[in-house]
Amino acid sequence: MGRRLESHSVSFAYVPESPVLADVDVGVTGGEVMGVIGPNGSGKSTLLRLLCGFLRPARGAVLLDGQPLSAIRSRERARILAFLPQTVTPAFALTAFEVVLLGRYPRLGPLGAPAGRDREIALRCMRETETDGLRYRDFGTLSGGERQRVLLASILAQEPDLLLLDEPTAALDINHQAGIFALLRGLARNGYGVVVVTHDLNVAGQFCDRLVLMSARARIVAQGTPRQVLTRDLLTEAYESPIVVTEHPITGTPLVWPEPASAGGAKP
Amino acid sequence: MRRRHGGIIAAGLIGVSLAAVFASIGVGSESISFAAAWRDWCAGRPLADAPELAILLQHRLPRTLAALLAGGGLALAGCVFQALLRNPLATPYTLGVASAGAFGAYAATVVMRSAGLALALWGFSAVQVCAFVFALLDVSLIYLMAVRRHHVSSSVLLLAGITLGMLSNAGMMLVRFLSDPGMLAMMERWLMGGVDVIGYEPVVTLAAGVLPCSAVLLLQAAKFDQLGFGAEVAQGRGVNVRRLQTTTFLLGSFLTAVIVSEVGPIGFVGLIVPHAVRSLTGSRHRLLMPLSFVAGGAFLCLCDIFARIVLPGETPIGIITAFLGGPFFLYLLLRRRFGDWET
Repeated sequence: MGRRLESHSVSFAYVPESPVLADVDVGVTGGEVMGVIGPNGSGKSTLLRLLCGFLRPARGAVLLDGQPLSAIRSRERARILAFLPQTVTPAFALTAFEVVLLGRYPRLGPLGAPAGRDREIALRCMRETETDGLRYRDFGTLSGGERQRVLLASILAQEPDLLLLDEPTAALDINHQAGIFALLRGLARNGYGVVVVTHDLNVAGQFCDRLVLMSARARIVAQGTPRQVLTRDLLTEAYESPIVVTEHPITGTPLVWPEPASAGGAKP
Repeated sequence: MRRRHGGIIAAGLIGVSLAAVFASIGVGSESISFAAAWRDWCAGRPLADAPELAILLQHRLPRTLAALLAGGGLALAGCVFQALLRNPLATPYTLGVASAGAFGAYAATVVMRSAGLALALWGFSAVQVCAFVFALLDVSLIYLMAVRRHHVSSSVLLLAGITLGMLSNAGMMLVRFLSDPGMLAMMERWLMGGVDVIGYEPVVTLAAGVLPCSAVLLLQAAKFDQLGFGAEVAQGRGVNVRRLQTTTFLLGSFLTAVIVSEVGPIGFVGLIVPHAVRSLTGSRHRLLMPLSFVAGGAFLCLCDIFARIVLPGETPIGIITAFLGGPFFLYLLLRRRFGDWET
């Protein structure tokens, strides 16, 4: 019985004249990886922040297990859903283990003092993301891939049910991208619900159970399985530019490319 | 990168601080026999008949307490502002609290003098009241300019603070330009600061301002660890970022305003003490913040001892904090022990 987080005809605008989202319905349940894709400026990150409760919808509501998210205290919310922003730059030097231990915050007492049990959980989360060997390293000296794994461990330390990630693989090479997504897949198998915003359509197609395709026109173009969403017509509509879709030679999942300009495609 | 054990660092710093406190009570222009003072105390002699006891109780002890409270408060406020603005240079002074307070004090001195008034309010001099009000006015203006819907803009806080600080300095120069030399000397002395208090009234005022504010600030320590990762991470962990920023900014400023109005704008403590402590503890705020308070108090005690004995007469303490603290701070900087800032 996993958690369910959903938006009900949510609309949002930073300035009233230009709506970012209009009547958006999406939902994620424990056990699945939902990818949010779409061109720059289509409101993917905004949607994620609405689902986290950081932004309040202008109309509609975000519900967690049927309850309005806005009615849940922020500390309680942090024990259920964990958020990882696109770029995390610590102001101070910390070891990787200290970074992960900070994730325990919503589960600690009012003074925020971690106990032995919290250290155990932090270490377990590091093992889950294969970072326990880095525990004494200065976080600032880790590679991009190592950092993302440590940060993932730090939000797992919140012991949440739902993970919301904003482009967790934006700065990673294809090998590390696949590594992070494989990790998310594994977490979903263990019951976590995962929402991940990404620009990599091919990795998304391979690792996500469902995709939400957004367009720059403040709406959702399509949602469904990667095969249903990653089609030539839908992608061309969303990205407003011709897109080619082929098949992965091994997995058979859709592979997506922009159509070369010479083939009569991209806008000037 | 392993951490030294927090307990050992804490014990060491507290030990050094206690030594500074005892030295501060023991050292002064008059050499005092503790034994004689103790005998007077036990015999229950009135202070008028027991000069040694009188010096201890009416001068040394309140002075030491004032140094502890002022130094501790300034260091804690500096530590809070560094974490709050995620900037190693930030202190309430950077935001012009001290300059505004000094401007208030200057203006009050001139107005009182030229109007022939010696105004006092509930036992506080007009200089103190004006310093306090101007300092609070400064932070209130800055805050109103920087507050946003979900957070408080750090860069607006810093820029507005620096601008208001410069305006205060210009105001001060104008007042100085317009006033006569006799009055200038009086104002200059105030500007250099000093914990040369007599009796317990100033100590009570300081304690009433510093202790409650510090207690509330210390309770927020764990949240500052979260804020170190950015507002969104903190928010995702359940920290109400705007509330944290608002309460700690206002409390830190209020505490600083109380101190500045009581002992003058003593510089440098808020900037260097947190960095020095951070080089020992790392940025674990639950350790860093209380130890900054302890070390700040001890540092000002130490500076006050120097102020009493180095030069004949009372050397203004602001000079000592800079001369003692500055080189030490540069040493930390050169040794790359400049705290734990990621730059």
